[in-house]
Amino acid sequence: MLVLHAVWAGDGLAFWAETPQSPSSPATTPGTPRHHPFAAPLHTLADALARTGLDAEADAGAVGSGRVLELLLPGSVREPVPSPETGRLSEVVRPRLRLWRVPAVVPSTGDTLRVLAAHPATATVRHWAAVAAFAHDLVRRGRVIPQLVTAPAAAPAGNGDPLDRRAAPQAGARAVWRPVVTGADAGYARELAEAMPPACRTAATERPSGAVLTEALDAFTDALVRQALDEPLMSGPKTLEERWLAALTGPDSSCPDDPRLRTELEAWREAVTRAEGATRVCFRLVEPPVPDAPGGGVGWRVELALQAADDPSLYVPARTVWSGEQLTGLPGRPERELLAGLGRAARLYPELDRALRVAEPDELRLDTAGAFAFLRQAAPLLQAAGFGVQLPRWAGRSRLGLKLTTRTRSQAAASQGFGLRELVDFRIDLAVGDETISEEELAELARLKVPLVRVRGQWVELDDRQLDAALKAVERERTGELPVADLLRHVVQGDDELPLVAVDADGVLGDLLSGQAEQRLRPLATPRGLDAVLRPYQERGLAWLSFLSELGLGGVLADDMGLGKTVTTLALLVHEAAETPTLLVCPMSLVGNWQREAARFAPALRVYVHHGGGRDAAEIAAADLVITTYGTAQRDLEALRQVEWRRVVCDEAQAIKNSGTLQARAVRAIPAPTRLALTGTPVENHLAELWSIMEFANPGLLGSRQRFRSRFQEPIEARQDEQAALALKRATGPFVLRRVKTDKSIISDLPEKLEVKEWCPLTPEQASLYQAVVEDMLGRIDDSEGIERRGQVLAAMARLKQVCNHPAHLLKDGSRLAGRSGKLARLEQLAEEILAEDEKALVFTQYSEFGTMLQPYLAQRLDRPVLWLHGGLPKKTRDRLVERFQRDEEPMLFLLSLKAAGVGLNLTAANHVIHVDRWWNPAVEDQATDRAFRIGQRKNVQVRKLICAGTLEERVDEMIERKKALAERVVGTGEDWLTDLSTQELREVFRLTAEGVA
Amino acid sequence: MPIGRDGWYETTKPISVEGGIQARTRRGSIGSTWWSRRFIDILERVCDKGRLTRGRAYARKGQVLSIDLSPGLVRASVQGSRPKPYRVTIRIEAYGEERWASIEEAIAAQAVHRAKLLAGEMPPEIEEVFAALGIDLFPRDLDMDCSCPDWGFPCKHLSAVLYLLAESFDDDPFLVLAWRGRSREELLGSLADEPAAADLSGVEDVPFADRLADFYAPGATAHRPERRPSAAAPDLLLRVFPPPGDLARTLTPAYLRLGDS
Repeated sequence: MLVLHAVWAGDGLAFWAETPQSPSSPATTPGTPRHHPFAAPLHTLADALARTGLDAEADAGAVGSGRVLELLLPGSVREPVPSPETGRLSEVVRPRLRLWRVPAVVPSTGDTLRVLAAHPATATVRHWAAVAAFAHDLVRRGRVIPQLVTAPAAAPAGNGDPLDRRAAPQAGARAVWRPVVTGADAGYARELAEAMPPACRTAATERPSGAVLTEALDAFTDALVRQALDEPLMSGPKTLEERWLAALTGPDSSCPDDPRLRTELEAWREAVTRAEGATRVCFRLVEPPVPDAPGGGVGWRVELALQAADDPSLYVPARTVWSGEQLTGLPGRPERELLAGLGRAARLYPELDRALRVAEPDELRLDTAGAFAFLRQAAPLLQAAGFGVQLPRWAGRSRLGLKLTTRTRSQAAASQGFGLRELVDFRIDLAVGDETISEEELAELARLKVPLVRVRGQWVELDDRQLDAALKAVERERTGELPVADLLRHVVQGDDELPLVAVDADGVLGDLLSGQAEQRLRPLATPRGLDAVLRPYQERGLAWLSFLSELGLGGVLADDMGLGKTVTTLALLVHEAAETPTLLVCPMSLVGNWQREAARFAPALRVYVHHGGGRDAAEIAAADLVITTYGTAQRDLEALRQVEWRRVVCDEAQAIKNSGTLQARAVRAIPAPTRLALTGTPVENHLAELWSIMEFANPGLLGSRQRFRSRFQEPIEARQDEQAALALKRATGPFVLRRVKTDKSIISDLPEKLEVKEWCPLTPEQASLYQAVVEDMLGRIDDSEGIERRGQVLAAMARLKQVCNHPAHLLKDGSRLAGRSGKLARLEQLAEEILAEDEKALVFTQYSEFGTMLQPYLAQRLDRPVLWLHGGLPKKTRDRLVERFQRDEEPMLFLLSLKAAGVGLNLTAANHVIHVDRWWNPAVEDQATDRAFRIGQRKNVQVRKLICAGTLEERVDEMIERKKALAERVVGTGEDWLTDLSTQELREVFRLTAEGVA
Repeated sequence: MPIGRDGWYETTKPISVEGGIQARTRRGSIGSTWWSRRFIDILERVCDKGRLTRGRAYARKGQVLSIDLSPGLVRASVQGSRPKPYRVTIRIEAYGEERWASIEEAIAAQAVHRAKLLAGEMPPEIEEVFAALGIDLFPRDLDMDCSCPDWGFPCKHLSAVLYLLAESFDDDPFLVLAWRGRSREELLGSLADEPAAADLSGVEDVPFADRLADFYAPGATAHRPERRPSAAAPDLLLRVFPPPGDLARTLTPAYLRLGDS
């Protein structure tokens, strides 16, 4: 497998690759740079590129021009240090920079973009993919500007690349599209430059990242615009300007030079890039100071101000700018920026002209209609054009809506007996915020015909459509009696024109709709039969689950990871002791975990794992809990549909986040009186997923996918519509319980350090490798004695642990990592959840070579930084890694070699610790764990130890636990005591049991 | 009227020019802003259609060699059919210090003028300022002269220069005021200096020598970009910063298509 890298070659992106073969030593001419010994030769490279991203129909010759680059790379005299992605360990002790000759392919920019999208496997390629994504974002938002440049053709011609600057013809000039990088974009561009791996900008010399990024961004932008504009801007061009316009599209960018046009275009670009410099003009809508009669006429104003672009809290009103006071902190030339900004804004908002009729403008006075027009039309336009806009708190929020009041009839109704069928009285009123308004008031508002009115001291936006809807609503039946279920549906689904802005309910409905049922319900104490003591918040969670179940409603338990969703769910099963079984669907990697947790916490529960070749649906009837995987649920759908279930539970419910997938459809198709989804990721941030998970838990309750999108998703995601967000919270709040660890009431319930063991399955590949190693090693151990035998035992242990980590770890063949290890799959899941919660984790392995394999893989899979600290790094680099991990706010992983990082480091930014493999020396493991758990840690730390079920890892763990309980005698001695076991005992320890295999 | 078939002043073709000033627009009228239209309007009022057409053709072919604008006076040289280029002068009244002092005072009294001029526009309100002082910003008539022997007035050389002059006014409204005697710098004072644009050249790189052990890894601050919701129309840039000439007409549909990419 080739390890592909990309480096900017001045005129395009050059791809080169390292091969897995061991270095050869090609002959070199003295005095010239040596050939990179394990760089892929040109033909191999071109083949690989043709396979990855390039159009299969393009003929092989068009892949791009091959050339030999001279690159500064760290290494010894004999060979460069291999990149971490090769999985090879460097033998170079003290690397130095030297020039190496490297064969490379420079595809056309269009092809380059395709390769980047298709092959983001290494850090360098990933970085360029990020640059390309940035360019694409700029193009999509129209942050580009056409220019005429006379830059001479730079590099060798004849590569046949139509989009490339090298194709510049004799005409002497080219039409190009340049990115417009200002404001927040400029900040991001700077970060991209600072984050650029040295290997992206190396050449015969050290090239500055800023220049490299600018050149690449220019090239990517131009190519992307040309891809988007598939029709010419100008046909049959005659004048110079028209020929320039014609050259702005299509493959040929050449056109004759026109100095006048060129200068004008340059001046235009200057004006654009300068305008959005250090400060921006800001408009703040201010309410009339003394409110007059409803809809009363005047007194609104828009305050003009300047704002620092990089620090919006630095807000200086125009009045202060004109006063000539010393403006501390405001960069640039405030008066000029203010005037020029106002001049530009007036093009979008002509009303502004009125304010500029004075020498030193500081505000625009508006009447009510003008204020409404500013709110609805000017403000979004100005904001989109990069101006600052500040609106009153109520803007976009306080609109006319409905208020629902319900009352139960009987005193006993608050108990849980009647449930959803109970009839309650209801009344619907028109409301603004919490205030109801009468029909007379509504008629008065309609008569005033003004869009902004004051209702009981609160400003309300009133558009015609809403007013019509309100007038119609008061004519309908507004009181009566309905079952709780109907009202619930009404509340959740709502009305498109008139949102439900307030609910006043009692009884069951009140508990549900409060969104705080968990707090209102009486906590359920740990049920008898559960071999654990529930924490207070778990008791509340149990009460909530039980409450929903009894009502026949589905729930989503979305507590932070580590808060015990598993034990709470088991408690629910023990508590209700149902006649019919619960079906639990989870990813394969969690089956063993559920099985063990059930055995530990709920030993009386009859558990049947419905999975694998020997599964038999007949066993379901005799079980209380049936565990299966998403894949099996889909395959055995027909059989599972026949069973009368108590409930269906989906663990890691992200698995059904796409409602259209077969898995998601299968679990929805299994009938059950109540359902439960468990997820550790914050569902409320992913609205499409939220719908899909809710559709599983309570089918049909949120309405159709389309309606959900138009009513919630689009307003919230595209416009940050607060009212829609509130409505969504009201609609889903009753069914989603999410407690976070940072919540004070939860923290006080939690231990400071929580240790959990996670059991992972082996893949079939791992299992057969494991079996082979056991046979091979037991034979050798049997044939040896004394010190040799000890050595063999330790070697066997090491190799088995490597198999448990990953087949590629044992084989060391640089083969792919994805999908081959149960442990890695679990690690990825955990890491995803941790990062999704914006947290950081330390990941320890005792094998440096495994860390080196994991680092690039995880970085790519998770699309977040994965730092890697091992013994091969100089102190300076280690310090920088630690510093970054502690300081940088971005969630990330820190991979550490147990030996290199066990002591001394202070890594309190992490509140998760994962031990990928086991040292079986609690003292060492605890020491490592304490990197995160030490003074300065303000969060609770969660420690996870990954153990492959059914392997020596599980058995040694059990032995340690047993011995620990008896006496602490083995603790602290590492693995040596194992070497004293007899071969028969070893066979028992090493033996692979079937349950561990996926 | 032509005197004869070989009359040198009438039907012979002009000597073609390399590197002359060319009008941007290929067809249709010239002058896209209201303030440059003012000049074209004067021209089109006094000049017959045939000469106007020839003047536009001259402007588009690049027959005008140079245009030089100073207070009260525009000098240009136009290549006609004779080897020696014709000299064209266009005069208007340049206002003296005293008048300008009152104009400046009036301009300073309303921010709209400075704001729009800084944003690259001639504020329509500025005509009121001049009118209030009983003077004109835009001339009612032009005092024009050309060294060509053409009897018609204004000749095609004059109209070619006026067309090009109007185009310059499109791009830089300050030129209109400069013709009347006040430069951009004089009018705006310290406001005239352009601020410098920011770029990436200031990024400080960690030297390779300190990155030998993580040569292939990202630097210390690889954040993911905050994806900003793109509520903005993709042609917004053109609306806030109008491109030179009437390019907006051609470019707007192109920018709108970028939004779909």
